[in-house]
Amino acid sequence: MPLFSNITREANFLTKQRYILALFSIVFLLSVFAIWSGISETRFQLSTIERLQEKDTIDRESVLAKQKDYGSAAYYSFHLTYSAPSAIAFAAMGQRDIYPWKHRIRMLAIEGQIYETDADNPELSFLGRFDFAFLISVLLPLFVILLLHDLRSAEREAGRYDLLITTARKRQRLWLSRAIVLCSALAIVLLIPFIVGALITQAPLASVGLVMLVVIAHLLFWMLLTFGFTTSKISAKQSSAKIASMLLAIWLVVTVLIPVSSDFVIDKMVESPNGGEIVLTQREAVNDAWDLPFNATWNEFLSTHPQWEDKTEIGDSFEWKWYYAFQQVGDQKAEELSKAYRTATLAKNTLAERFALMSPPMLTQRLMSSIAETDTNAAIRYELKIREYHKALRQFYYPLMFNETEFTLETLSGLPKFPNKKI
Amino acid sequence: MKAIYQVTRDEWRFWHRTKLAATILVIGTLLAIVSAVVNTIEMEHTAHEREHLQRTSETQFLEQPDRHPHRMVHYGHYIFRTPSPLSMIEPGVDSFTGTSIFLEGHRQNSAMFSDQRQASGMTRFSSLTPSFLLQVLVPLFIILIGYASVTREKEAGTLHIIITQGTNLWHLLLGKYLALVSSGFLMLLPLVIASIWATFTGESLLVTSSFVTGYILYILVWSGIVLTVSALSNKNSASFTALIGLWIVFCILIPRIGSSSAAAIAPSLGKLEADFAVLEEVRKLGDGHKAADPAFEQLKKNLFTKYNVDKVEDLPINFRGAVAQYSEEKLTKVLNKFAEQRMQEELYQAQIARQFGWLTPTTAIRSFSMIIAGTSLETHHRFLREAEILRFDFVQSLNKVHQDTLNYQADINRHKDNKAARVNAENWQVLSLFSFKPDTATTRLSRGIIYGFQLILWAVLVCFCLRFAVRRIR
Repeated sequence: MPLFSNITREANFLTKQRYILALFSIVFLLSVFAIWSGISETRFQLSTIERLQEKDTIDRESVLAKQKDYGSAAYYSFHLTYSAPSAIAFAAMGQRDIYPWKHRIRMLAIEGQIYETDADNPELSFLGRFDFAFLISVLLPLFVILLLHDLRSAEREAGRYDLLITTARKRQRLWLSRAIVLCSALAIVLLIPFIVGALITQAPLASVGLVMLVVIAHLLFWMLLTFGFTTSKISAKQSSAKIASMLLAIWLVVTVLIPVSSDFVIDKMVESPNGGEIVLTQREAVNDAWDLPFNATWNEFLSTHPQWEDKTEIGDSFEWKWYYAFQQVGDQKAEELSKAYRTATLAKNTLAERFALMSPPMLTQRLMSSIAETDTNAAIRYELKIREYHKALRQFYYPLMFNETEFTLETLSGLPKFPNKKI
Repeated sequence: MKAIYQVTRDEWRFWHRTKLAATILVIGTLLAIVSAVVNTIEMEHTAHEREHLQRTSETQFLEQPDRHPHRMVHYGHYIFRTPSPLSMIEPGVDSFTGTSIFLEGHRQNSAMFSDQRQASGMTRFSSLTPSFLLQVLVPLFIILIGYASVTREKEAGTLHIIITQGTNLWHLLLGKYLALVSSGFLMLLPLVIASIWATFTGESLLVTSSFVTGYILYILVWSGIVLTVSALSNKNSASFTALIGLWIVFCILIPRIGSSSAAAIAPSLGKLEADFAVLEEVRKLGDGHKAADPAFEQLKKNLFTKYNVDKVEDLPINFRGAVAQYSEEKLTKVLNKFAEQRMQEELYQAQIARQFGWLTPTTAIRSFSMIIAGTSLETHHRFLREAEILRFDFVQSLNKVHQDTLNYQADINRHKDNKAARVNAENWQVLSLFSFKPDTATTRLSRGIIYGFQLILWAVLVCFCLRFAVRRIR
């Protein structure tokens, strides 16, 4: 096995080069830091959710205990919803700092509540976090370029080139085995902290495997690109630094220029309603209802809830069922806009998926956050889950209010619970 | 002096001959121009759009029909933040914060609908804003142009010839430094023009000139770093690798490590969790919608003594309006206390992240540029505070109308006779017009001075390194 003996020889060389060993230890430390900060962030989110659950229950119970009718019970009590980070989220925090992962909602119009964000510190989001996905998607190519750009030219600059060429049986194989050794070593220093992290968080084997696959595929892409470029005819007579400059230009195009221009194009391609319009429509509908005749509200409400047709009579004083009916109508009026808004977000995301095919770093980042379920799709799934839960709340309260059921706290113990499963 | 210019001219001639440096220079300058133009157009567009939305929102409020005044408290009002003139160069936190707020009674809403949430997610690492270009990419371009400026002479053996011919080593290095700096300035030029433009569209000259000075310092620092490393290295490739390594560390790594560390060192509770404490305090205050709430007993007694009556019905004012006013004031005090606390927490985190400017010039220029441009966290917080003042103002004015103008009996019977429990729409004129102005020049400068100092320190440090390099060559 000539290739194998080549590899063992190159591996021996590797351990004797101080500069390369230094680079590997820096990469290793970076990987450790990325994993550590990812794990501490997910731990923080998990413990936040735990604390929130506890406080939420106590708060709701104490509020409900003071109420005397179902209308006020629904008005004053909030319900916690959340989307817990997956076990592998530590590797790719994705969009979780922009999209909210926790919400407290009540039975008022959902459109007025769901866009409230409990987002992170904007200045920190602007500076960007350092997670494993960033290390792999943006920095890994730079490491590969630093390691491989002078495969041939370094030997030539050192004056060993001709000697090496004449003694080697197959020229390409010599460079290939050197590249393989360097890149495998790089893969090992990058992945060891990740594997340790996955063991700590007990991430499912399948997603760990998928992430590793993505990492290796991205590494392989840059290895082949750099290798092909350095051993090609164009760079035969170039100095190491010139080869590296050209490789850096490629990196710049795929990591910066392509994403930025596709963002611009996507923005022009997808027509999205202004988010503010949804809230405004909902607000106008709900506020106007106070001054409109009762019938105006009932007509709209009954078109979606015909089962309550016989129970709409209202006395001289304020009645909660009418109040919640116009909240429902407010949602109905904003529904079309709100759907269009979500569709636009998803359409942008789908387009971004396609454009990312031109940019391996973007593709890597997107794949990793989709495995970790921290991408835009996951955020929308969470939003839909909140809407579903909100609907369940309405279905629970409507019969109680329209049938004028006698108020007991026991009935309220049957309140629907937000599905506790991880998303 | 003549010797220095000679070296500079030779350096430029060399770049002209070797295509690589020239190409990089052209690409860098073109990128800078394109990004400046695109962002200026975009910014002017948003500024107009937001101003228009602001006027629409105000007219809508004023055109509401006769109503119960409390309906208008809940109808609420929208305000928009117009961008500062320099945000065409440095958008800062703007795209992450959301730029409109809905103001209503009894609540402090957060800013909604940030641009990033509506974006495709492709611009999380990079954006083609002039600031990203100058802070992150221009250093890379300077490296690519200048990594070989000294090592080239060493490798070709010409360095010793030049020195033995009697050229002062300092003159040689200064000449090369000047050449590098001038290439950096070429890429800075679009920013300078944009700043001059901003001066004409209403930004103070003091601000724009210190803004440009910050970037000039930044280019001086990076040119110095490049030249020092090149002078200390023996080979082109060694200088190149070391510089790329430094670039990764300074421009990409440390700023992000800074923000991750800030989040880990001073974790903030988040609004949702902090709101439990708010709710707890607020519940003690009683619900302002229910005048019968025992929390308002004291208020009732005070009013009775003041007007010398013993029944709510006999009061010359509408008691429900008085309660609304009283409870809104108490509530706002509590809300403000917590909002202030939260802003302090955020600011503290940001300040931790900004301390990393002592470790990398990139964080220093970033903080400096954001603060001077008026797109930093502080400005966003001021927007929130001004929004709150406006909110409290119009809500309380409406509550006062409720108290003074609306008849108590009609108010009590509002569910029976909805028409009688309304007031004239003229009363909606209480809304004051909102227009958000950036911080004054002196405020921004005094806030940013420490980060300007970080930059100056870097410049001094680079000078020392250059001196060290000169000694080593000798």
